[in-house]
Amino acid sequence: MRPKILLSLWLLSDLALFVASYATAYFLRVGFLLSSDFPFDRFITTVAIVAPLWLIVLATTRTFQMTRNQMTRKNFAYVSYAALVGLALFSLAYYFRYTLFFSRLLLIYAFIITTILTWVWHIVFQRIQRVILTKNPPAFPTLIVGVTRESRKLIETLKNNKNPLCPVAILDGRGAPDNEIEGVPVLGKLNKLEEVLEQNKITHLIQCSDLEQSLNLLSACRQRKITYLLLPSVLGMVERDERVESLEGRAVIMV
Amino acid sequence: MKAFILAGGFATRLWPLTEKRAKPLLPLAGKPIITHIVKKIPADIPVTVSTNAAFKEGFEEWKNKLGRENVEILIEDTKSDDQKLGALGAVRKWVEDENISEDVLLLTGDNYFGFQISDFLESYTEGTPILAAFDIKEKELAKSFGTVVLDSSSERATSNEQRATIHAFDEKPENPQSTLVSTGCSILPSSTLPILIEFAKEHPDNVGGIFEEFIRKGTSVECFQFSEPWFDIGSFNAYLEATQKLVGDEVIKEERASLEASECSGSIVLGINSKVSNSKLENVVMFEDCVIEDCDLSNCILDNGCELKGIDLRGKMLREGTKLVSSG
Repeated sequence: MRPKILLSLWLLSDLALFVASYATAYFLRVGFLLSSDFPFDRFITTVAIVAPLWLIVLATTRTFQMTRNQMTRKNFAYVSYAALVGLALFSLAYYFRYTLFFSRLLLIYAFIITTILTWVWHIVFQRIQRVILTKNPPAFPTLIVGVTRESRKLIETLKNNKNPLCPVAILDGRGAPDNEIEGVPVLGKLNKLEEVLEQNKITHLIQCSDLEQSLNLLSACRQRKITYLLLPSVLGMVERDERVESLEGRAVIMV
Repeated sequence: MKAFILAGGFATRLWPLTEKRAKPLLPLAGKPIITHIVKKIPADIPVTVSTNAAFKEGFEEWKNKLGRENVEILIEDTKSDDQKLGALGAVRKWVEDENISEDVLLLTGDNYFGFQISDFLESYTEGTPILAAFDIKEKELAKSFGTVVLDSSSERATSNEQRATIHAFDEKPENPQSTLVSTGCSILPSSTLPILIEFAKEHPDNVGGIFEEFIRKGTSVECFQFSEPWFDIGSFNAYLEATQKLVGDEVIKEERASLEASECSGSIVLGINSKVSNSKLENVVMFEDCVIEDCDLSNCILDNGCELKGIDLRGKMLREGTKLVSSG
């Protein structure tokens, strides 16, 4: 429930932010008055029409994924891209409605304000969201499979960054000597999988080793509608230069 | 004499096949491993199968299907690996709780013995512990088992016989002195049960260690050597190898199983109501209710209810209900 409410709030706040950014650009350009040459109501109505389209463009960049870190260059690029598309859509929409062009400086203001405000708001919202989602019981209890160097790093990073994916249990195909890693209990071997999935109400499973069991882990996840994630290191990719691409419409991992 | 079968292990190396059933209940060439064992035990010997609470229902169901009266399922009150009594601990508990005063035929439920247990019983000398041993030929392999070193004079004197006296027993040695390994089939005379009880208090997990203890205490231990097939089914490879040896280049089709327009090689076992069509199979065991269409499977074991369409797999064990349908 928490994720759905947060996502709705996020989308609504972004819509409001888009409109507010353009309104600010208007006043910055025109001055803090309501011009009769360039009526505010026409301007803001067009912005309101375009706002949902801009939101769709932004959503296609997957920026609203709750597990994504907003404070990255890549994410800034996505926000800028969406702002640029929003700007184009606004210009076209305004022209289509009133067959008029207007100040180029206003467009530059609108682009800069939308980009910066959206990005900053996303970072702020992410902080609020992470506090709410990781509060006990966590919204996304996550099972880690495999005790490896990579899984240790992953758990540490998830915990330090307060990622919504909250590791609550660890299993290892061959058993591990550790009782816990970063406070997360190591509960045994894979024969406890069903029990752990059930008892901890797992929503995400991250496979960090035991490649030979990937089909079975995937099968367990599908049966329980759990999101399955695989660390590239399980396939021997540890250089961090892998990416998922499309080859004639089929997904492939490219290194 | 009473027979006691150890069947309480959680068999984590055979996960996911052992996710919902004990290893002794895994089908081997058409019937559960434990059925192969029990069928060889003379009908007049009562059999106790020791397992844990997690597998209770499976064993109850197996017992009902078996159709043998003198089989009892003994449930150890444990549900996970870390609560286990230990194999020898389970024997001790049974001996104490039931006041066992007869000789005990002790068997591990996950081993397949090719020899006749009646032959083994015939070679038993009243009051002398005896274990069945198999020459595994390679010292590297012997490291994973209890190895048996025969008394040299006994070895010469009985070179044409199956029975010999054991000089030393090493449980999982780093440097095996012999390739003759203990196979999880032994007879513990009633007179040795007090030693077992004491030893099990300190070493509840060390079944093989009891023979070291007998020798340490000056009790003579004999060995029954056999050359018939023996499999310790502890891993995917061992399970597949056992199937290959027992089934050969055959296709075993159980009730209502069907095979259409498919190419088969090696050992194929199709469980009850499993259906295969337009596929290529090599060394494949499928349990019940599997549906395979347009697949190429090699060295795979599929648990109940797997559905595979349009995919190729090599060397996989699939958990119950796995559905892999290629979208093209």
